[in-house]
Amino acid sequence: MAKRIFITGIGVISAIGKNTTEALENIQSLSSGVADIQHLKTVHKGKIPLCEVKYSNKELYQLAGVDPSTPLTRTALLGMLAAKEAWQQAGSPELGDGKTGVFSGNTVGGMDKTEHFYAEFMADATAGDVRTMLTHECAHSTECIANYLGATGMVSTISTACSSSANTIMLGARMIKQGLLDRAIVGGVDALAKFTVNGFNVLQILDEQYCQPFDQNRRGLNLGEGAGFVVLESEDTVDEANILAELVGYANSNDAYHQTASSPDGTGAYLAMKGALDVAGIAADAVDYVNVHGTGTNNNDLSEGIAMQRIFGNNIPKFSSTKAFTGHTLGAAGGVEAVLSVLALKHQIIYPNLRFETPIADFETPLVPETALLENQDLTYILSNSFGFGGNTSSLVFKAYK
Amino acid sequence: MEELIEKLKVQIIKQLNLEDVEPDEIDPNEMLFDENGELGLDSIDALELIVLLDKEYGIKIKNQEEGKQIFHSLTTMAEFILQHQN
Repeated sequence: MAKRIFITGIGVISAIGKNTTEALENIQSLSSGVADIQHLKTVHKGKIPLCEVKYSNKELYQLAGVDPSTPLTRTALLGMLAAKEAWQQAGSPELGDGKTGVFSGNTVGGMDKTEHFYAEFMADATAGDVRTMLTHECAHSTECIANYLGATGMVSTISTACSSSANTIMLGARMIKQGLLDRAIVGGVDALAKFTVNGFNVLQILDEQYCQPFDQNRRGLNLGEGAGFVVLESEDTVDEANILAELVGYANSNDAYHQTASSPDGTGAYLAMKGALDVAGIAADAVDYVNVHGTGTNNNDLSEGIAMQRIFGNNIPKFSSTKAFTGHTLGAAGGVEAVLSVLALKHQIIYPNLRFETPIADFETPLVPETALLENQDLTYILSNSFGFGGNTSSLVFKAYK
Repeated sequence: MEELIEKLKVQIIKQLNLEDVEPDEIDPNEMLFDENGELGLDSIDALELIVLLDKEYGIKIKNQEEGKQIFHSLTTMAEFILQHQN
């Protein structure tokens, strides 16, 4: 029953714009979304940069056309906007027949709201609105997205740290292939919260400057926020005119090495990439571009680089990390980068890895990412990596549709 | 110094949620991070100790490598605190 899975809609909101058009424009003008903290109220303001979505919650309500008195978290609002863009591009299909799934990857849940409520409530049990706690769970924002689009079929949330939304894309594809769904709106969202920033700060993997993925002198990651969603459709029911690209491969693995680090021999990354290529039925040398996980941490970039050597030998394809543009959007990363991969196939471009200067010294044959925006390419297969805490590693393979 | 070590024992048990450990069960010279040792702390616990040093003693440790030496044992921790506390 090996149905082909097509992508008919993409939507993204991030530090580089409120939709796919703006994202592409900012990439073409090499404008990264990293900046001094504007919106998040945190003690780190002025000390570390972040890749915030450049809209306040009030403005997000306006963009979504939702009454601001409706209690919604930033997470829900960002997810709703990106999912809607993808759904509209897919032709705004009716979602009330139960044949469309909505799967979202998310790590922060409603903590952007509940962390404030919690502090108020602990000081004074009569303070704040206790119903805020209803928004706390990751699944709440997914329900908001489904309701916003009128989807009444299966709704589910995956929370596996930085691989979350690659896993929801995989889940959607597998459910369609099994004939359980005709369509799936999949991806993920994460909003910045004090919890996230403080947590990563304690782990000492944040860069106080603008991050430099895959660079010998990299200092860590820049946290980001946003949402990226794609619409997947079965070859049996899809309207060919809407097809943007095809999802041909996916895999998830776990190297069971450490709660917050990847195994030094790149095992998790290797298994995910190899698995995805196997599902796609292609050899490593068929890959034209790798959108690496490339967070800019000492650990990830080394581990991922080692895994790439294990897969590609000395023939490493062109690669880059777009996190130098968007920051690390955590649960949204897989979805955001899936959208960017589809855009790359549509427009036949390869993204630059901003701020790269010196290749990592550990590699005999230097791993050098692309540093300029390349156009008029001949891309057929793109591999996208999303590697999460807990060793949960996922990769996706996209194919151009001609 | 003795007092500080006793205080540290209580703080560490609390910060790391070591529910089954009594203060007098911790040997001040034993390696905190020895896998075969009594406490067998891991690298996430190490981060918790960094937070504890900041919160309770106002000392900031910039990287985990530095932390490894400071957290060798309770005694080395106490010595470090006495040297650096403001």
